[in-house]
Amino acid sequence: MRNDNVEMHKKEHLPQFILRTRFTRRGPLSFIGHLDLMKVIERAVRRADLPILHTQGYNPRPVMVFALPLGVGIDTTGDYVDVAMSVPMEADEFLDRIRPQLPQGLEFISARQIGEPKDSIMSIVSAAAYSLEAPGITQKILDLFSLEKVETQKKSKGKIKTVDIRPLMIKPLTTSTPDRADIMVYAGSEKNLRPDVLLAALCEQTGYGKDKADECIVTRTALYGGTYPDIKELSELEIKYKENNI
Amino acid sequence: MHREIVVPRSVLMSVESPGRYVGGEINQIIREDIVRELREKGGCSAVRTAFCFPDVYEIGMSNLALQILYKVLNSEEWTSCERAFAPWPDMDKLMREKDIPLYSMETRSPLYEFDVVAFTLGYEMCFTNVLQMLDLGKIPFLSRDRKDDDPIVVCGGPVAYNIEPMADYFDAAFMGEGEEVDLEFTRLIKEYKDNGKKDRQALLRRIAKIEGMYVPSLYEPQYENGRFKRFIRKYDDVPEKIRKRIITDLDNVIFPTAPVVPNNSVVHDRAYLEIFRGCIRGCRFCQAGYITRPVREKSADVLIDQGRCIERSTGYDELGMLSLSTSDYTGLSKLTDGLLEAFEDRHTSLSLPSLRIDNFALELMDKVSRTRKTGLTFAPEAGTQRLRDVINKGICEDDIMSALKLAFDGGWSTVKLYFMLGLPTETDEDVEGIADLALKIEDLYYQCARERGEKPRRPEITVSTSMFIPKPFTAFQWEGQNTAEDFLRKQALLKSKVKKSRNIRYIWHDVETSCFEGILARGDRRLCPAMLDGYKAGMIFDAWDDNFDYEKWMQILDKHGITWEMFAGAIDPSEELPWDHIDVGVTRSFFLKERENAYKETVTPNCREKCAGCGAACFKTGVCFEKR
Repeated sequence: MRNDNVEMHKKEHLPQFILRTRFTRRGPLSFIGHLDLMKVIERAVRRADLPILHTQGYNPRPVMVFALPLGVGIDTTGDYVDVAMSVPMEADEFLDRIRPQLPQGLEFISARQIGEPKDSIMSIVSAAAYSLEAPGITQKILDLFSLEKVETQKKSKGKIKTVDIRPLMIKPLTTSTPDRADIMVYAGSEKNLRPDVLLAALCEQTGYGKDKADECIVTRTALYGGTYPDIKELSELEIKYKENNI
Repeated sequence: MHREIVVPRSVLMSVESPGRYVGGEINQIIREDIVRELREKGGCSAVRTAFCFPDVYEIGMSNLALQILYKVLNSEEWTSCERAFAPWPDMDKLMREKDIPLYSMETRSPLYEFDVVAFTLGYEMCFTNVLQMLDLGKIPFLSRDRKDDDPIVVCGGPVAYNIEPMADYFDAAFMGEGEEVDLEFTRLIKEYKDNGKKDRQALLRRIAKIEGMYVPSLYEPQYENGRFKRFIRKYDDVPEKIRKRIITDLDNVIFPTAPVVPNNSVVHDRAYLEIFRGCIRGCRFCQAGYITRPVREKSADVLIDQGRCIERSTGYDELGMLSLSTSDYTGLSKLTDGLLEAFEDRHTSLSLPSLRIDNFALELMDKVSRTRKTGLTFAPEAGTQRLRDVINKGICEDDIMSALKLAFDGGWSTVKLYFMLGLPTETDEDVEGIADLALKIEDLYYQCARERGEKPRRPEITVSTSMFIPKPFTAFQWEGQNTAEDFLRKQALLKSKVKKSRNIRYIWHDVETSCFEGILARGDRRLCPAMLDGYKAGMIFDAWDDNFDYEKWMQILDKHGITWEMFAGAIDPSEELPWDHIDVGVTRSFFLKERENAYKETVTPNCREKCAGCGAACFKTGVCFEKR
């Protein structure tokens, strides 16, 4: 390392003009991890030559905040990323410029200017909806929700421990077709249930075939903020600002 | 009939990094014309090439040859190119279990459907992955077993210059740079395809007449007393010597200004500019330096233009300069200034590998990189001046020390030093010299701090050693390699010497890998059956230490009567070499002269100081014709 005598960069607060963007992903792009997805979007922003805000310091990164990481193999129709611009930009212009730069399978479906809200989008997510598509899965999902305890093995810090995920499962949403169940679970930084953990528990507890679970198409369809049962889809949530905000 | 391979979701979900197997990247070229024809007619009239990289996707996507030839072979309507990579053992296993053939990223066609299956070979340790890819691609291993309508299997890249250990598995090999010859070859395949793919043997003979193409099956090796004796050509119209191809005018050759950008993290997450080919230095152990001669530069203006395009088309925030020695590029100042101007306000950094450290370089590094420096790298290669003169490393201790003084006074405290063990004429004194040099550097660090009147933090000095492997087409192509025991003893000796200081860290390469590579590097055709046997015994990804099984390999070689001495031992210069029929421009007599110079500890000036008459002037271009 270099012993720089440079004065440490004082982090002065730069104005942020955030575009809250709703995106979908499917196809090949669903098979990459969260960090790689961030890089994919970063590069798209750079190709579009958008005036994105960068972090200060030695290694400036574009300022982008995702509502909730997306696991490998999960499609989404309901995810959000906050992209911070250094100058105000109309949502339509933003979308027009970035859309041609997105790889196959990634779409920015809408965006709105929200300025600079009080809370980061990451901190307001509390629940998520997933659709699970696989043969005969709906009945088994209902069976799982009818249990009082859903114990499963979970790897945490190298140790395997038994956890009860039932408290993380909120409710089934749509269950009218036998091969597709929509469910709501807790999500976010406080309580979070990953769909792969749920599917593993489904196999263990209800005898649902592992081969079928492995082929299950998992799609995140919505993200919610608020405290259950008082929750709202992110796009309908009122955005709070700091008092001294312009 | 065309078949589109569908990989079940359950397979992708149970392997590591499934993003490697799905494609869909930015700048990926999907030829809609061909897709349509395939779907409607089950086949197409254009020549389809599968460009195969015999290692995992993340390594392959960092390879510039792949990006260049992908563009070349997709540049005209009658030719198309798709990519394929070696599936990692977890995927390999599932593909076999579920009978999923190896497929291309673009149209997901199985490899056996292609007209040409082309491998780029960058290191010998990927040989078994070639066999893995042929096997999973359902293509017969042996060239002689392939039928008229089987793919033509070819290879290129540095390792293709001595392809003998794999000669039975390739129909043809490209010698040298591929931009022009690839299209000449593909045109011939187009004719073959238009005529209904009849008479593969006649095709191979025609391929052999293309300059720069080697068809191993047309040369019959002879052995005498267990040594390679000579090649006998099967027909008179087959060339006696195969001269490599080079590009004369790099400014006007096709270059991928919109390379494919992987979605998942690869080894080097950056775009590349190739600033020149060849090397003026003439380090006597260095195959890359000799086989790429003569030095030809791209002009700074062209590079600045291409750099701007690449940065925009990929979105990468780092652009790497590619060559064998960045400092030897004559327009470096102009180039870096131009690129920095082009990238103003875009937060893009330049990476300048293998810079020779001097005042200019330090200033340059400050200017081009937006990130904190991790350390300075030097490659003295040998510990004593005597041995550095033997290998013609044009660097002396004073150079290193004065450069480091500049660096230390400029605030650097991390230094990495690269050396080789087992170089010709090496003695224990030379090995100890490595430790001495590291200790002197440590002293210098504290001395500089004292002179500045500062209380310094601890320096971090890393000494790294690799093993010298004699390679074809070098002044050391006749040398014997050290045995594993020699290497281990020298490592231990060096370890005991550097232990004196807690600021010096010693890291070393795996000895066994280098010993195996030594056998392959100068091997001949007698290795072919052993390679297949090795593959069948489960050896793949030998370049990855975790997968490499030396013991097992030695058993397999033993079974085939192959000893370490046969290929890694010293060779008498009176013997014919299995690669003497390949002409890289630099002559055998020059290598012999350089070998004598090495023994005399005589330094040969670099190409820009004085022409040493290596033979590369036969290409009538580059540094050989620059004014001195």
